[in-house]
Amino acid sequence: MHGRVKVKSTAQQEEEKRKEREKKLKAFVSARDAVLRKRSAGEHDEEALQLTQQLLSSNPDFATLWNYRREVLLQLETSREKDEVQKLYESELHFIEACLKVNPKSYGCWHHRSWVNTRLPQPDWTRELGLCDRCLSLDERNFHCWDYRRVVVKESGVSVEQELQFTDRLIGSNFSNYSSWHYRSTLLPQLHPQPIHSHRVCEEQLLKDQLLVCVCGRSELSVEKSSVLQAELQSCNQLLELEPQNKWCLLTIILLMRALDPLGHEKETLAHFQTLKEVDPMRSSYYSDLCSKFLIENTILKMEYAEVRVFSLSNKNLTTLCHLDQLLLVTHINLSSNQLLRLPPQFAMLQCLEVLEADDNAIESLEGLYHLPKLEEVSLRNNQICKLSDLESLASCTKLTRLDLRGNPVHKTANIDSELSQLLPLVTALSL
Amino acid sequence: MGTQVKDVVIKPEAPNTLLLDKHADYIAAYGSKKDDYEYTLSEYLRMSGIYWGLTVMDLMGQLSRMNREEIIEFIKSCQHDCGGISASTGHDPHLLYTLSAVQILSLYDSINVIDVDKVVDYVKGLQQEDGSFAGDKWGEIDTRFSFCAVATLALLGKLDVINMDKAVGFVLSCMNFDGGFGCRPGSESHAGQIYCCTGFLSITGQLHKVNADLLGWWLCERQLPSGGLNGRPEKLPDVCYSWWVLASLKIIGRIHWIDKAKLRSFILACQDEETGGFADRPGDMVSSLWNCHIQFCICIYILHVISLGLAILYTELIILCGTFLPVLYISIQVDPFHTLFGVAGLSLLGDEQIKPVNPVFCMPEDVLQRIGLQPDLLN
Repeated sequence: MHGRVKVKSTAQQEEEKRKEREKKLKAFVSARDAVLRKRSAGEHDEEALQLTQQLLSSNPDFATLWNYRREVLLQLETSREKDEVQKLYESELHFIEACLKVNPKSYGCWHHRSWVNTRLPQPDWTRELGLCDRCLSLDERNFHCWDYRRVVVKESGVSVEQELQFTDRLIGSNFSNYSSWHYRSTLLPQLHPQPIHSHRVCEEQLLKDQLLVCVCGRSELSVEKSSVLQAELQSCNQLLELEPQNKWCLLTIILLMRALDPLGHEKETLAHFQTLKEVDPMRSSYYSDLCSKFLIENTILKMEYAEVRVFSLSNKNLTTLCHLDQLLLVTHINLSSNQLLRLPPQFAMLQCLEVLEADDNAIESLEGLYHLPKLEEVSLRNNQICKLSDLESLASCTKLTRLDLRGNPVHKTANIDSELSQLLPLVTALSL
Repeated sequence: MGTQVKDVVIKPEAPNTLLLDKHADYIAAYGSKKDDYEYTLSEYLRMSGIYWGLTVMDLMGQLSRMNREEIIEFIKSCQHDCGGISASTGHDPHLLYTLSAVQILSLYDSINVIDVDKVVDYVKGLQQEDGSFAGDKWGEIDTRFSFCAVATLALLGKLDVINMDKAVGFVLSCMNFDGGFGCRPGSESHAGQIYCCTGFLSITGQLHKVNADLLGWWLCERQLPSGGLNGRPEKLPDVCYSWWVLASLKIIGRIHWIDKAKLRSFILACQDEETGGFADRPGDMVSSLWNCHIQFCICIYILHVISLGLAILYTELIILCGTFLPVLYISIQVDPFHTLFGVAGLSLLGDEQIKPVNPVFCMPEDVLQRIGLQPDLLN
């Protein structure tokens, strides 16, 4: 289904092609019917092996044929000595390898090979590892082969160090080496087991995960030591001077700066995000959200140092809200002049909130403004609240008395004043 | 990271409007020529092929053009004694085709034409000690099958029969350093597997276990300069990833992280204006390479011919056009698989000519509403 080409040609060439395909189709159909007939008749013999071999060589995804073949092999096992069984399955491995040459990405082939190894009296794991080496030298991204290799390594006890060296060689010689990097990410923790993380540390882990993916392909990076991170930041900055439009460089620098000193590097970070959006415009929504997240994190850090309960995020180009679970004690929050589209459900965690300012955004949804028992004053001037139903959740905020909705499309709704006083009878100061 | 990007180039004359009627005609006629080569060779996945065709027709509001009775009889003939359902008559049962069959019967609101209890037993029986699911009795393990199992049971309202904790535990053990998922623990992240695992976690109510920011980033990095999406780093774009990647992003609430306009252009460019249907990537990718080569050859040849005299040039040009012109129109083959995922991708992007599609089940939302199945998505 993938990567097939349709070539237009002359009428004569079309006719020849059609005849050729008709012939091929006839051959396939008669072989297929013969095999399925044999199977229905319960025949598990050499002829079955021959017929399925013929079909599977060019149709390795015809899974039922592999099943039939396994039934035949199991049947033949019962009437053979151990050394004959060994030969039987070794020849099967030979056949599978031929199939893999034609189609190295057939699930059926690889699974059958694994199955054969469970039936072999004496599997030869060295040979299997060699097969993997050859297959990966032809296509380093063949995940079927990598998965098979992991089984071979486990069964034969190849060491983690040896496998790390194997990935070293591949990474050194191949540009498209993500599969090797992925494998390394599973090998390294086996050498250096990590302790269980608490929730706070999880944020750091998130950063480290992303950093790891980012630098993947550039160098062997241990994201644990800050001296290493500092050195990496320096070399990235040097690279940036040579390639100021390199998005991987920009993103890596941002992440490294965050890992080292989020508050100290805030200005530089914002400048780099601006460049990122220009250099990689397809993902500008992602960068806006990520930048919003970092700005919120910085504001939380500053708040913790100052121990105040007034939280201002105004005028920060925020496109999303997060970490609301860390604002449980906040009494006043200012989200004005941003690009927020909604107050998400998690907003309801702000149980101490008394005053909300969220003017000059693009807010359509107030999902998160419900059951806030201390909320008295809400300002939502110049947003995108369109329907009365968008305001329903506010009815559950029983202390709400002041509500400013000026500059929202909802004011055009018929009888909006009376509708609102019905929905929110406790609100005494309403501005539309 | 490196200098070259593997990608395609979309030619300016590539299709840029949605040709729904052509696609409906293509699917309606597909498989009517039972002696078609591709059709016969793909018999091993027939049940899924029918599901792809019916679903795309339903999304286009054209389900009535398909032969409901014939298909239902066909499905009945494919249920085996063990309860499992095969891809076609005479083939062996498998979870993949059991799911496809249940999806088809859900579209047709005819789930009871098969023995539902036996299907449930079959699915339950494939769960392993570690929570994983085998595809069939021969034991291949893959997170695709975890998805097939829970999707099948959810459509039948029978999720409670399996060991949910273990099933979830197994899928989470397949989560990688980049936030993605592979076939088995330790396998590389791949968009197809990510779709299966995020779909699984949605159905089982465990989406909060996903690292949405990290995975969302990995997924939005699948978008290439052409606007198309690939399945993992350093691979070519393919229209089916408009589904696997896009649906995953929708499930984890990060669909706004890709450039929707550019993706839409890419998907539309994958249409075949002549036959209807979608191919895996835009036509003329090969021909643009050919064009450069041939234009170069033609230039050299013409210069040579000019040196021989103008009279010869005219006749030579006629011959040239006759020989080379056909080669300039190389394009890629369409099929129902890529047609469904192209159309479904466009639906997720908000095209109002297509019915809303559910990102977890890849079925029309109205069918799932009828069944009462609305799995949670992250916001």
